[in-house]
Amino acid sequence: MKHYTEEELTLYYYGEGRRRADVERHLDDCAACAKVYREIVSTLAMIAAPDVPERGDQYGLEVWQRIRHRLPEREGSWLGQWFRWDRLSVAAAAAGLVLVAFLAGRTSRDMSAPPAAGSAPANAVADSGHADARQRILLTSVADHLDRSERVLMDIMNAPVSTAAGGDISTAQGWADDLLTTSRLYRQDAVEAGEQSVATVLDDLERSLLEIVHSPSQISAADLEQIRRRIDAAALLFKVRVMSDELRDRESRPGAASPRTPIQKTS
Amino acid sequence: MDATESAAVLARARQGDSEAFRALVERHSRSVFRLAFRMTGNEQDAEDVVQESFLRAYKQLGRFESRANFGTWLYRIVSNCSVDLMRAKQARHDQTRGESLDEAVELPANDLPTPERLAESAEIQRRVQGALADLSPLERAAFTLRHYEGRSIDEISRTLGLGTSAAKHSVFRAVKKLRAALAPLRSQES
Repeated sequence: MKHYTEEELTLYYYGEGRRRADVERHLDDCAACAKVYREIVSTLAMIAAPDVPERGDQYGLEVWQRIRHRLPEREGSWLGQWFRWDRLSVAAAAAGLVLVAFLAGRTSRDMSAPPAAGSAPANAVADSGHADARQRILLTSVADHLDRSERVLMDIMNAPVSTAAGGDISTAQGWADDLLTTSRLYRQDAVEAGEQSVATVLDDLERSLLEIVHSPSQISAADLEQIRRRIDAAALLFKVRVMSDELRDRESRPGAASPRTPIQKTS
Repeated sequence: MDATESAAVLARARQGDSEAFRALVERHSRSVFRLAFRMTGNEQDAEDVVQESFLRAYKQLGRFESRANFGTWLYRIVSNCSVDLMRAKQARHDQTRGESLDEAVELPANDLPTPERLAESAEIQRRVQGALADLSPLERAAFTLRHYEGRSIDEISRTLGLGTSAAKHSVFRAVKKLRAALAPLRSQES
């Protein structure tokens, strides 16, 4: 006689499974299966639906009041992602700053060094001074940005994860999302400033930040391991740390802010 | 809100109209809370799930297909938010017991129920709640959907984004653990 498994009897209890009439007949004839089935029935009969606490008519409004100021960014098409309002406003702000710096540079140069015969060397010195100051600002900002990015990467590398339940990287994702736009703008600035090695590190960093942002918040152990492996393979943490140190070193040394030859590749 | 009005509200919400989204929140909050409470078994956790579910829904509304049923789509989000919350709690408390049948079903010897205690249904419910709390988040979610919500295995698999076999297996494991954990109560009753 073929006995039914607990799984089949559980399905039968819930009104699922095939050949229900066969199971029913079998339970009439087989004491062993009938005993298991009775146990399943009596166990599940004990588990009554819990009394759900009442929520009043205004509950929906209360929920809305609690979440209305926390509504997140809408997820849309990829095009939409690239042209989000906050990103456009950051880009506009950055462009504005560049313009202000440019105009301020021109004005101060005009006032401090009026054109005069034989003043070309003085102008050249002033130009180089302004360029150096602007370069120094970029170095400081990028170094700060790299430090923040390093912390996010460290969070990802050290995020607790269990084989069964995976891990929660939502906090690191939030930071990565914030850093992503800035990273892109700094990379463009770095390219324009001739800082190719900085741009290369920022490009690598951007890829990892993108991958982190677009991963599920509740990430599986396997997916998290893949991200970690890619960060490792690109020696990203090392590059970010070295670049940050180098930029800080350059900003602290007079005359050293100008672009340097690319740092040696580490991987 | 009739079907036409509901479709219009949904369309406006999808276009980013927060007032329309507010109407959806007001309409669905109570049913969302009911499911969240059954899933988590805890009022405070259920409230957290309600808020997180609507925030996720708002974020993902652009992906929602207008042909689909918003309630079903939201139901899926609530179920998955509940699983995420239970997993996070489990990770925080390092409760790995849920994955181990042997540990999950073990009752302390000196805590075995006496007939007097069993007479109180509250005690039985406490035990049942304890046994449910020992399930893994996925098992609990699958069991809740099957046992309390009357969802079929196919519906559970779609709701939790699992294969049919994984959904079935989650329900089986839950029932198996519950049978073992509640065996002392059964023997006292019989």
